Amino acid sequence: MILSQVTPKYTSKTTIALFMSSTDPAQDIARVYRFLAQCMQYPDAEWTNEDFFNVLYNLLGTLGAVDDGVEIKKAIDNADDSLEDLQVEYTRLFINGMPHVIAPPFGSVYMDQSLQGAFAGDTLAFYKTKGFGMEEDADLPDHIIHELEFLSLLAEENDFAGEEEFLKKLFRPWFGKFLPRVTDGAHHPYYRVVVQLIDFFTKEEDKDGFQPNKA
Amino acid sequence: MQYGMIIDLERCVGCHACTIACRAEWEVPVPYQRNWVKRLGPTMTDDGMAATYYPGLCNHCDAPPCVDECPADQVEKTFKDAKSGKTKTMTVSATWKDPFDGSVQVDKDRCLGCGACADACPYGARYVNPAMADDNSEGKVDKCTYCKPRVEQGLEPACVQTCIADARIFGDLDDPNSEVAKYVKKGAKGLEVSDGKIGPNSRYYGTKKDMGLLFTDYTPQLADMGSVKRRAMMASMVKPAMRKAKDIGMLGIAGALLVKGLSENENNK
Amino acid sequence: MAFNLTRRKFLQTASLAAASVPLSKVVSANTGVSKSALDATGTAGDKTVVGGICEMCFWRCQLVGKVRDGRLMKLEGNPKSIDNGTAICARGNAGIKLLYDVDRLKYPMKNVGKRGEPKWKRISWKEALDECGSKLKSTVDKYGAHGICVFPHGASAKYPMHYFERTVGTHNVSEASFFQCRGIRDTAYVATIGKAPGEKIDMPNTKVLFFIGDHLGENVHVSHIKQYVQGLQNGAKLIVADPRFSAAAAKADIWVQIKPGTDTAYMLAIMNYLVQNKKYDADFIEDHTSGFEEFSEAIKGWTLEKAAKECDIPAKQIKEVAEMLAANAPNVAIHPGRHVSWHGNDFQRERALACLTGILGAYYVKGGWVPAKGPKVKGVSWAKHDHGNEFNLNYNQEEDEKIYTNNPPGTPTDLIRDCAISGKPYPIKSCVVWGQNPLQTIPNQQKMKDLFNAMDFVMCVDVMPTDVTAWADILLPEKSYLERHDYIKKGTQWDLSKEHQQYISARMPLVDPMFERKDQVYITNELAKRMGHSDAIPVNTIEEMVDKSLASANLSLEKLIAEDGIHIQPGKDPYGIPEDFEVLLFNDDLEDAGHPGAPTYIPVEEVPAGYARLLYGRSPVHTFNRSQNNVWLHNAMPDNPVWLNNEVAAKVGLVDGDTVGFVNSEGVESETTTTVKVTPGIRKDCVYMYHGYGSANPLMTIGVGAGVDDQALITKLAIDPETGCHGMRNNFVKLIKNGKVLDLSA
Repeated sequence: MILSQVTPKYTSKTTIALFMSSTDPAQDIARVYRFLAQCMQYPDAEWTNEDFFNVLYNLLGTLGAVDDGVEIKKAIDNADDSLEDLQVEYTRLFINGMPHVIAPPFGSVYMDQSLQGAFAGDTLAFYKTKGFGMEEDADLPDHIIHELEFLSLLAEENDFAGEEEFLKKLFRPWFGKFLPRVTDGAHHPYYRVVVQLIDFFTKEEDKDGFQPNKA
Repeated sequence: MQYGMIIDLERCVGCHACTIACRAEWEVPVPYQRNWVKRLGPTMTDDGMAATYYPGLCNHCDAPPCVDECPADQVEKTFKDAKSGKTKTMTVSATWKDPFDGSVQVDKDRCLGCGACADACPYGARYVNPAMADDNSEGKVDKCTYCKPRVEQGLEPACVQTCIADARIFGDLDDPNSEVAKYVKKGAKGLEVSDGKIGPNSRYYGTKKDMGLLFTDYTPQLADMGSVKRRAMMASMVKPAMRKAKDIGMLGIAGALLVKGLSENENNK
Repeated sequence: MAFNLTRRKFLQTASLAAASVPLSKVVSANTGVSKSALDATGTAGDKTVVGGICEMCFWRCQLVGKVRDGRLMKLEGNPKSIDNGTAICARGNAGIKLLYDVDRLKYPMKNVGKRGEPKWKRISWKEALDECGSKLKSTVDKYGAHGICVFPHGASAKYPMHYFERTVGTHNVSEASFFQCRGIRDTAYVATIGKAPGEKIDMPNTKVLFFIGDHLGENVHVSHIKQYVQGLQNGAKLIVADPRFSAAAAKADIWVQIKPGTDTAYMLAIMNYLVQNKKYDADFIEDHTSGFEEFSEAIKGWTLEKAAKECDIPAKQIKEVAEMLAANAPNVAIHPGRHVSWHGNDFQRERALACLTGILGAYYVKGGWVPAKGPKVKGVSWAKHDHGNEFNLNYNQEEDEKIYTNNPPGTPTDLIRDCAISGKPYPIKSCVVWGQNPLQTIPNQQKMKDLFNAMDFVMCVDVMPTDVTAWADILLPEKSYLERHDYIKKGTQWDLSKEHQQYISARMPLVDPMFERKDQVYITNELAKRMGHSDAIPVNTIEEMVDKSLASANLSLEKLIAEDGIHIQPGKDPYGIPEDFEVLLFNDDLEDAGHPGAPTYIPVEEVPAGYARLLYGRSPVHTFNRSQNNVWLHNAMPDNPVWLNNEVAAKVGLVDGDTVGFVNSEGVESETTTTVKVTPGIRKDCVYMYHGYGSANPLMTIGVGAGVDDQALITKLAIDPETGCHGMRNNFVKLIKNGKVLDLSA
């Protein structure tokens, strides 16, 4: 389930240490993947709070994207009900929209024109080769949240090769089609920025840190 | 033994169940197909007004023109007769005619995706899926296998199983007691090419006017083998280069980037 | 946006570590991905799950599912089935594409925008049910049970429909399928033989098949096709009356290229010929019919010549058909039809079919009309209560009788609609729509919108978004037919000459429901609990409902699964006419009501000069337009070419494959175009196309704009006087090529 139905399983007592450190990039990227997965959960008062946004703004600031943070902050501050705005936007973009859901967050939709196509099967098979499977109440295997979670788990295990292979074969091929649907279709800056963050952290880069596609 | 399929046009109602079942069974992506149903007529024939269907699939020919064109390296392959346990070893490329059941099969691992076999088929029964391209190929060819994996487990081909009119009958044409052989005796005919003899083993049975309409509209000619051979030759020449590129590594990436850049330009136009 | 850092550089900075709030505080610790033992992929076949019942159309074939890692890979006919067997049609095979359609409803949603222009937000089931329950309850408290109206459709809507009708107690419930499809057939046969005919003709064992417009092969229901093909293989003669050389005509011995709308005249001439030449079944008429004298008298003007002129066919051919029927009577199968609302004179055509069957003595005999004797299984639902007629809109309080007598159970939609909009005679303030799309199924969309706007509360339950779901305040996602229990499918072997067998099967899920989809029993019960009806709840779960129902036949879900999804038991011989069976060749009640007592031909509007009559029919890969969005089916037949007679085409300069649009006699233009199919296989005075294409509905991603929508060109509805049903084949069109309107005068 999106590992989160409406209420995420997060509590403030969460024990896993997710501090960023400058010594271990693998653990850092794992935490970032998990943060990005969190960003894609259905917005809920439990986690869509001031603390969360502060981290997001801080991350954007670090990346030199202060303007984006400011834009999100404005949208949040100026709203009558900022949480409902995000929920409506999430529903329209990712669940059901009129006339259509804008950008369903499942790889198979872009590769097979269907949920649960062969691509979803391939994704699950890849999890299995790495020793992972789906929880009973999980969402479909090719949901973006699970893919980001999976990447975080690979990163935690220092499986760089697995991470790169997964990104190349099973993440980027559909994410590249998903991204413009969100950036073009989003009414709220939050989702436009979040998918670009995901794009940034999942893009190919060569050994000089050069990313071939323009951000 | 020679597997064959009869399509009884007296029974066929043109419903397309066979094509969709095949798609589900073998996950054939739209817009490709392993089998098809074309609608013919209504049109005036010498025998009166006629309308019928052309449910087509690979003919698993006696002398398949596709097999000889495959430019993939030849390897020794041992075949085993599921019934008698007998074995036979042959030298094959990435596609061959099975010495025991007569079906025409493909080895996707070794397929170069060049499309020479697809071009050579007079019936258009093969397609190359470019989405399956890998380091050694431009895609993979796919076609009807007479549902070999199903048949070997004692099941019927998917199209036969789902046929709502029992219009498709599968079996051994060499066995005179089989249903399919009986149909041949009654006059079931394959869509033989007009300019040769390749022995198609998917055969049609129907009224005189329906058969007349089908054979008038869909009797094929052999493909222009000149262009097929050129394509196969190109593929076999490029093949070592592709391997080399893989060994060097960087060249492959640079090439891929270049191709990607070009295609992006295409898209921006 | 431009990020100034590369990913690698970013990771090398310590800046995030210095953030005031650590990531740990805002990120959930759990993931949906867990460590599991390494599985070998395995080559064994996929798991077979039994108990599926198809719903791609309403024939409902029996299925098994092939499941791999929780994904439904393929649907197949259940090998144990004595109905469809291992066969399923193209649509059945493509069912998994509906199951996995990304636009399907997934979670409960609340409309925080306006009705008709919704802004949806996902909410929890608890919040959704609380809101529905409290709103419906307050309507009942304030205005009474009749303050709620319900528009249900399909197998999944029966349980909620009974709840609102029987337990809550509103008469304002309206099902939609009657008026546009089979309603006329059923009422006409009821007025003739006392029962609805179904398509219960013994085709495998008949000597002659007689079709008026039936285009089997293009219209596909699996076991019905099996019966038809078996009949032909057994040597039956096939007579097909159709203006077009249909799939059935292509297999026919005699193709009657009849002028549209004149079918009744044709059959009257056949019957008159049989009567005049004493070629009817005298014993049957003596024992099992009434009104033969009046009937004979009424039709005696219909000579072969008169009908030949009216129907534009040779008199000789009418005689040939009549002789063929007489020579093979009583073993002749007169098909009652299925979609029969054509020209507004359809009740009379259906009466003629029923009477023709009668004078040939073709009821309850081998090869005739024979209802098979199926097993009995009791339904389980909410207990019935009498709620009186005080608030029944379909009841004339002064006359103390129903207003529409021949309408199906419930209240006609127009009566509910008028009451809701005007508030008279009482207010209706809440609306429940369950699997129906009353904006599409009932003419006059604006009135339906006015109804919604007059409501305090609107809720919809469906599997897919449709036009009507945009008008809901709360929208609830329902399990599809592949994810739920419900329908009990029962019947007999399809060939009545074979060993008599009965079967009973119940729909069972082939895969777990994805997301948060729920079934009708859960949703209805939760509403009942919130509306003070906990005590009346008949079953706690949908499994319990099916189990209780099966118990009436000494079965259970467990037993059915053990029997591979289908229970088979000995059947009964269906042949032999019941003592009290009677065919009313002349119906006095109809005459009393001001309609003809004997079947009567009512001419239809002639084609205006320059136009062609627009005819439509079924494509074998589509069920109306609900399968348009299916990528596999769409790919099989992507558009609907318009059939045009070759001589007419030559005259107006159209060739096969030309792209054309349409304009009808009322000036309505098609929004899309299609190609021309030039053929001698259609009359000159009509054009033909498959129905179910060219959707303008933006909710469809795949089918939108592919081919032309015949429905949009059907702007004139001919009202059938006996039933009020809507005839749709009195619309006339011209073709448009390159902006030029072409005169189609034959």
